[in-house]
Amino acid sequence: MALSLSNFLVCLLTLLPKGLLHSVDAATVTHDFNVGWVRANPDGMAERPVIGINGQWPLPLLNFTKGDRVIVNLHNQLGNQSTSAHFHGLYQNGTNDMDGPVGVTQCNIPPGHSMTYNFTVDQHGTYWYHSHTRGQYPDGWRGQFIVHDPENPYRGQFDEEVAFTVSDWYHDEMPGLLAGFINYKNPTGAEPVPKSALMNDTTDFTMAVEPGKTYFFRLTNIGAFAGQYFWIEGHTMKIIEVDGVYTEPAEADMIYLTAAQRYSFLVTAKDDSSSNFAMVSSMDEDLFDVVPPELNPNVTGWLMYDASAPKPTAKFVDAFRPFDDFSLQPEDGLELFDHADYSFNLDLKMDNLGDGANYAFFNDITYTTPVVPTLYSVLTTGDKADDPTVYGAYTNSHVLKKNDIIELILNSNDPGKHPFHLHGHNFQLVHRGAAGAGFYNASREHSFPATPMRRDTVMVNPNSNFVIRFRADNPGVWLFHCHINWHLDTGLAATMIEIPLELQKTLSVPEDHLDVCRASRTHTSGNAAGNTVDLLDLNGQNTSPAPLPAGFTARGIVALVFSCLSAFLGIGMIAWYGSAPLGAAELESAKRFIAKAGGTK
Amino acid sequence: MTNVFAIPVFFICFRECLETVIIVSVLLAFLKQSIGPDRDRFVYKKLVKQVWAGVGAGLLICIIIGCGMIGAFYGIGKDTFSGTEDLWEGIFGIIATIIITLVGAALLRVSKLQDKWRVKLANALEKQDVRHKTSSGNRFKLWCEKYAMFLLPFITVLREGLEAVVFIGGVGLGLPAESFPLAVICGLLAGILIGYLIYRGGNSAKLQVFLIISTCFLYLVAAGLFSKAIWFLQNHQWSKITGGDAAGTGSGAGSYNIKQSVWHVNCCNPQVNGGGGWGVFNSLFGWTNSATYGSVISYNIYWLGVIVAFACMLYYEKKGHWPLMKAKAREADDEYLEKTSSEGGSSGVVDGGLTKEGDEGVQTSAREIQV
Repeated sequence: MALSLSNFLVCLLTLLPKGLLHSVDAATVTHDFNVGWVRANPDGMAERPVIGINGQWPLPLLNFTKGDRVIVNLHNQLGNQSTSAHFHGLYQNGTNDMDGPVGVTQCNIPPGHSMTYNFTVDQHGTYWYHSHTRGQYPDGWRGQFIVHDPENPYRGQFDEEVAFTVSDWYHDEMPGLLAGFINYKNPTGAEPVPKSALMNDTTDFTMAVEPGKTYFFRLTNIGAFAGQYFWIEGHTMKIIEVDGVYTEPAEADMIYLTAAQRYSFLVTAKDDSSSNFAMVSSMDEDLFDVVPPELNPNVTGWLMYDASAPKPTAKFVDAFRPFDDFSLQPEDGLELFDHADYSFNLDLKMDNLGDGANYAFFNDITYTTPVVPTLYSVLTTGDKADDPTVYGAYTNSHVLKKNDIIELILNSNDPGKHPFHLHGHNFQLVHRGAAGAGFYNASREHSFPATPMRRDTVMVNPNSNFVIRFRADNPGVWLFHCHINWHLDTGLAATMIEIPLELQKTLSVPEDHLDVCRASRTHTSGNAAGNTVDLLDLNGQNTSPAPLPAGFTARGIVALVFSCLSAFLGIGMIAWYGSAPLGAAELESAKRFIAKAGGTK
Repeated sequence: MTNVFAIPVFFICFRECLETVIIVSVLLAFLKQSIGPDRDRFVYKKLVKQVWAGVGAGLLICIIIGCGMIGAFYGIGKDTFSGTEDLWEGIFGIIATIIITLVGAALLRVSKLQDKWRVKLANALEKQDVRHKTSSGNRFKLWCEKYAMFLLPFITVLREGLEAVVFIGGVGLGLPAESFPLAVICGLLAGILIGYLIYRGGNSAKLQVFLIISTCFLYLVAAGLFSKAIWFLQNHQWSKITGGDAAGTGSGAGSYNIKQSVWHVNCCNPQVNGGGGWGVFNSLFGWTNSATYGSVISYNIYWLGVIVAFACMLYYEKKGHWPLMKAKAREADDEYLEKTSSEGGSSGVVDGGLTKEGDEGVQTSAREIQV
């Protein structure tokens, strides 16, 4: 009965003008996404093809309200690339198949095909959506979405809400950059360096402000790679939300957003409207292997108090001292999960494989997309779905039990900063080592915060560690991965198989999703190798490139033996020549010559 | 080890010093025989003094010129070549290989030099006699005659010494300056010792064995150098491809081009921390922990070339003509030796009339490099 009533409401509400939607509890918001190529030149330096929606780029800012049903009809009109859509940060509770990562919860949507994403948004906050097809989103296929909260605890404390983004930007398309990145000619795995930074997909972002008003800024880093330092000259930011989780208010002069992180903060405008102020976002150059001299890592936008007044140039800062998000406290006061039912390590390293390219590893395994998307394996392997073996040897799969407190310890053996994102959850950050702290040592006493900060994307410091905890209460297959696009593509990912047997009972994949698999010729049943009979037989699974040979191979031995042989032969020849007496004729002539020379004296 | 002892430099010094010692020993022996302390003690002593003075003066000038040259070289070199190190190491390696290869064969015949120098000396004195008869009383000529026993060793030492300086310069282009002194001193000492043994007419068979072993080592070094030179050139290419990144990766994955790799072991890198024992292994035999197609093939081709060249020389000595060429006249050997002896004349010793008799043709051969 309740179901039919809500359906009725949905029908009714979709007919209402959009402006009214925010004021009601639940609605259905339908979007048609015709994904196709358009041309754009956001930084004024190079026009290039970008992936737009309905012929538009930048992509639209989507506004939902908590409780909305969202229907996105995605039509792939790219012509030359497959695609997919992921709504970053949504828990997708009950709709794991709408999460989006290709090879995990769905198949790639080939050109000319469509797929519908249909889910209910039962959370609030600042999010973003992007393609979850290998390496694709930095070509422009990323945008911001907001889930408005009628019960925002900070309502009344601000006058206006403004959402905008920061991002890095490339001038070359991803397929070419990826081919050069994962290549024997790039053995150190140096990531392509962005060409510029963008603020709200432009380099000339302005925001009109009125004196004395307070603004609710929602800021998302929708970039591929670079972390961004962000500050507003002459203003402080009062942080009230990170990654969809309200926090106790915290004052900050400068914040740091890794790729995929979001911050919401209140900024109160000055009473004096005589001059304008620069907002600066500066790409973290620590991430770049080589900083090209021509690169401008900064992008400036302006708080415009007076449209006729000049836009001031951003001032030089001595050092970056961003706010440490570890100190934040969630507004809901959710206390520390003080014990873990299941704890495991993911040890990160970068190394080269037999093809000479550089890959990223968790526990010596570089993630390789399985033959069957992991969700479909869960749904088609019956009792065996509880056994992580089923999901293959290259997916770093962990099976999580219902309502267990999961503790994930990430140890980084890499000098870079990495932002890690867990699909389907936010998590408590209970510990984060300082740069260079090395691996996490559980036996050492750690005093965890009583109410740890929660978010869905968190950064690990160079050569250090972090510990996160969350409750396994969301049946589904959830990817845990580095949100640096380059690292995801070289395999820095692990798979959480959460309550698989319950998932089998509650989830049925819509037919249009399976149609997409048929169109892309992807298996939809069986284990990671597509075997449906012996579910523990992984013959035929996708594997990562073979490791580098540890020492001498047959080729090397043959070469060494031949080299030694020719050296011995050469030495033999020299010895033969050296020990051969002078020819008889030569000796004779020498004697005669000496005799003659002596004779003339 | 390789940073304090340059093995190619040692061998070059050894060879040039040996040759000088032999010349001096031949001169001294000659004086002893022809004048002798018994016959004219005063003249004999004076001439012996002249010989030593010539040797000393020649050595002194060589050392001054050599030091200046190498000093200047390193002064300029450090700035010019830094940054493109691999490229220059490759080019210098090839130059060094060529020098060592050409010089090396001579070491085998060094024990037989005694006879040859005796002939040369005789030649020179013979010429002096001739000149004396036709002399117009020119002062300079007279002076030359008077101090022949000074000029002869002086010019010889100077010539051999400068040759050594040029060779060492060539061989040592890619080596650090501090690797020179010890190698030079050891080379000189070894040369003097062996030269002395030859002078004393020690067991010549044992000496020959020693010389063969030395030569073999010399060629092992040269083969290794050649292989390394190619390796460096390839590494230069690889650095260009990776944008210089590979240099920072030590000896692990990514430091080498997987497409060119024949073997790569993550140890035993002769270039890391001085290389330790592997550094010695590297300079003696051209060992590398990361062999490329280029380095392996060039190593084998080098040896093939050496084998063919020595086989040809052996053939020539046995048959009197080169393989695949027609046999020359019967006196080819005669001509050869005469030609070699006349070469000696061009080293500053006045040349004599004997070449008149052996003027029929000029025989060039690989063995001339022995001179």
